[in-house]
Amino acid sequence: MIDAFQRSAEAVGATIKRFISVTEGVSYIRDLAAGAPISASFLPQEIREAFTETSFAHPDDAADARLCVSFAKAGIAATGSLLLELADPRERGATALPLLHAVFVKGSTIVADLYALHEIIACELNSPKSAYLSLTTGPSRTADIERVLTIGVHGPKELHVLVLEGV
Amino acid sequence: MGRATIKKKIHDTFLRRALKNFAAAYPVARAKAFEGIDFEGLRGRISDTKKAGLKELPELVSRFKSRAEQAGATVHVCATPEDANRTILGIIREKGADFLIKSKAMTSEEIELNPYLEKKGIRCLETDLGEWIIQLAGERPSHMVMPAIHKNKEEVAELFSRATGHECPPDIPSLVWTAREALRSGFLTGQVGLSGANAAMADTGTLAIITNEGNGRLVTTLPRTHIALVGVEKIVPSLTEALDVISVLPKNATGQKITSYVSFIKGPTGEGRELHIVLLDNGRLKLAADPDFSEALKCVKCGACANVCPIYEIVGGHVFGHIYVGGIGLVLTPFFHGFDKAEDILKLCIGCKKCNEVCAAKIDIEGLIVDLRDRIRKPVGQKFLFGTMMKNRRLFHATLRTLYLAQKPFQSAGGRIRHLPLILDSETKFRTLPPIAEKPFRDIVAERPGTGDQGPGTRKSNSKLKTQNSKLEKVLFYTGCLADFVYPDMCRDAKESLEKLGYEVIFPQEQTCCGIPARYSGEMAVAKDMARINTDVLLAEEANYVATICPTCTMSLKHDFQKLLEGDEAFREKARKLADKVFNFSELAARKIGNEGQWPEIGSMAVRDVVTYHDACHLKRGCGVHEEPRKVLRELAGVEIREMADCDKCCGFGGSYSIKYPEISQEVLKNKLENIKASGAQTVAVDCPGCKLQTEGGLEAAGSSVKVEHSATLVARRLRQTK
Ligand code: SF4
Ligand code: SF4
Repeated sequence: MIDAFQRSAEAVGATIKRFISVTEGVSYIRDLAAGAPISASFLPQEIREAFTETSFAHPDDAADARLCVSFAKAGIAATGSLLLELADPRERGATALPLLHAVFVKGSTIVADLYALHEIIACELNSPKSAYLSLTTGPSRTADIERVLTIGVHGPKELHVLVLEGV
Repeated sequence: MGRATIKKKIHDTFLRRALKNFAAAYPVARAKAFEGIDFEGLRGRISDTKKAGLKELPELVSRFKSRAEQAGATVHVCATPEDANRTILGIIREKGADFLIKSKAMTSEEIELNPYLEKKGIRCLETDLGEWIIQLAGERPSHMVMPAIHKNKEEVAELFSRATGHECPPDIPSLVWTAREALRSGFLTGQVGLSGANAAMADTGTLAIITNEGNGRLVTTLPRTHIALVGVEKIVPSLTEALDVISVLPKNATGQKITSYVSFIKGPTGEGRELHIVLLDNGRLKLAADPDFSEALKCVKCGACANVCPIYEIVGGHVFGHIYVGGIGLVLTPFFHGFDKAEDILKLCIGCKKCNEVCAAKIDIEGLIVDLRDRIRKPVGQKFLFGTMMKNRRLFHATLRTLYLAQKPFQSAGGRIRHLPLILDSETKFRTLPPIAEKPFRDIVAERPGTGDQGPGTRKSNSKLKTQNSKLEKVLFYTGCLADFVYPDMCRDAKESLEKLGYEVIFPQEQTCCGIPARYSGEMAVAKDMARINTDVLLAEEANYVATICPTCTMSLKHDFQKLLEGDEAFREKARKLADKVFNFSELAARKIGNEGQWPEIGSMAVRDVVTYHDACHLKRGCGVHEEPRKVLRELAGVEIREMADCDKCCGFGGSYSIKYPEISQEVLKNKLENIKASGAQTVAVDCPGCKLQTEGGLEAAGSSVKVEHSATLVARRLRQTK
């Protein structure tokens, strides 16, 4: 499943890295940011804690961050997509504004296709709370000028997916 | 549609190149995106659920409204564009705002929101790159998914230079970057954001929005108020149906497996935020209840019907459509914008059915276009042609005979017509025309009793033949007018081939025009009359089959008659009975392959002629026949087939279309001729007299020596050689 996910995601211009431990992923992200401000959307405890030396940018300054770190609830092998839960508009802004977006996803949460996500999406939508789910596939793109594919329009120009294997 | 506008688009070299390149690239990308996916199953589901939804659209609307409101959204149902515009203005004013940032919404184009708001002092900023380009240019989208496909990078650079105040080079990556930078401040300062939606789920009140550029997420995130302007037909019962739409849309639109972003939005998210959903009716609820045309609302706006349309490829969306473009644009325009806006564009469809083949919602787009023509104003003179002449077979056929004499002065050596008088000439010289034959096939048959039957009433003279043939399957031969009066040899070839293959072939003299020209001109009543006449004629005598050599007739007899006579108690059953018997020549010929002993072994033929095969639109997509002709050519005509690119793309004939719109017809033909030439074959095999007329006329006018032959002729030729 992870192999298929990797193939699909790379085909749409995402960079895939496979890690055994969260700390490896964290140091990869630090290298990517190269000292520039990092913002974050929701991260599970164990990942947030691994960013020991990083202080994330204040959510209101997301527009100034170079990179945003996120965590995906699931992935889709057929298309290389990631499912992000982004009900907080500030977290959403954080994922949409910077040039680089790095997303952790657990290998075990990668499913075959869009339809296999039905239950997990339905569950979010059926809860009484408001919801904003974002299925992200590769970096932002356009072909609006002469149909020439250009990567990086209003959203991130690079999408790095950090697959955590074994979990 | 103004002739001048059409010509301008035809001569717009950039537009033509852009559309041609896209037409070539799209099918490849699309096929790849659908790899491993059952497209027919997927679109069948979408069609079924949409159809069911339309039946209960008012209930779906109220269910969606109450669920979305439970989730905290405010839902406004707006009956008219004015209503929607006013509502949106009200929301913006209430927020004390004067600036609206927008992501792509065709509904906003539909209600002409920007001009309305600008007049009220609200600045609107389109943030989808393509939409921003056409906003700066003051134009409207020429494609539903790629709004600025008609603009080249030089034009874009000029527009951006003017908008940003600094020189922008015509370099695409740098232009895209300019857009990112220029629009960024808009995102950060926009007070209200407006989007469309691709699906709305009634069970949870959720919206699904599909985008690529990331602007949709910013528009629905940064401003504290989000307005979604959504056509009511976008409402589906639940996530299950929405996932099908999300799955099919990007694949069918541009050949992407999925877009960069798919957002599911339920209720306003975050403190003090508002979500307003403006549900647009604008004729949809009425259309949903229309027994004949409700199907049009199944559309998911993927734009594929434009992507494959041979006419769209020539003239683009500013001609082929109004606000919604492509095949479905022609259908929706009368309902959303009025019949006056639709009258001209409805005539532009050539009837090739290519759109039907790819439609994500399995809509019979072409059928709806033809049916809508019944409701538009008809030109003067048409009444006599269809009302009086076509219904009277003798008068019609006598007129065709007279034309034989009238055309004489225009015939050149070899008999073909190279120049027509006066005005007609400059527009029609892209192809030469075959003359009307001195003797139509029907007269040849009538004069030679014994060589073929003349149909009911003359059978007694043939009693000997009858006993001989009693074991043979009996075929009634329906030639169609064009073959009968222009290509009698083609008719003879078909008849001889079928006889040689072991059928008894009879030509009923009372047969007349299949009614398609009347139907395509919107004369539904006349078309129904023709259907009744021919149904009676072709059922008068017991026969196993009715054979045709013109796919348009095949389609008409087999499918259209049933549809036309559906509401006619006396004829419904008869039309069905006839439909079961009707087959194209190649289908009947193919049934006998391997059954007969007298054909020489193909393997023994040293050298085979090479032909390329052109699929007639109405045979491939109208009747679903494309394998049999190839089998017949290989195994009965003994030729080798070298396929050309786009073998099933229209040749540009379309009957009277090529006379009404010669400038478009010839451009479509040009593409076909290029592909024929590239195949290297010296013969084009066809199964349609219309395709033969168009392509051989074009080849001859271009000085090519390539010949065009009906399959029946190639089969008969081999048969004569081996006898
Ligand atoms: S039938 Fe052919 S010409 Fe007419 S809209 Fe469809 S694709 Fe275009
Ligand atoms: S009519 Fe069919 S092909 Fe055309 S836009 Fe609608 S869904 Fe797509």
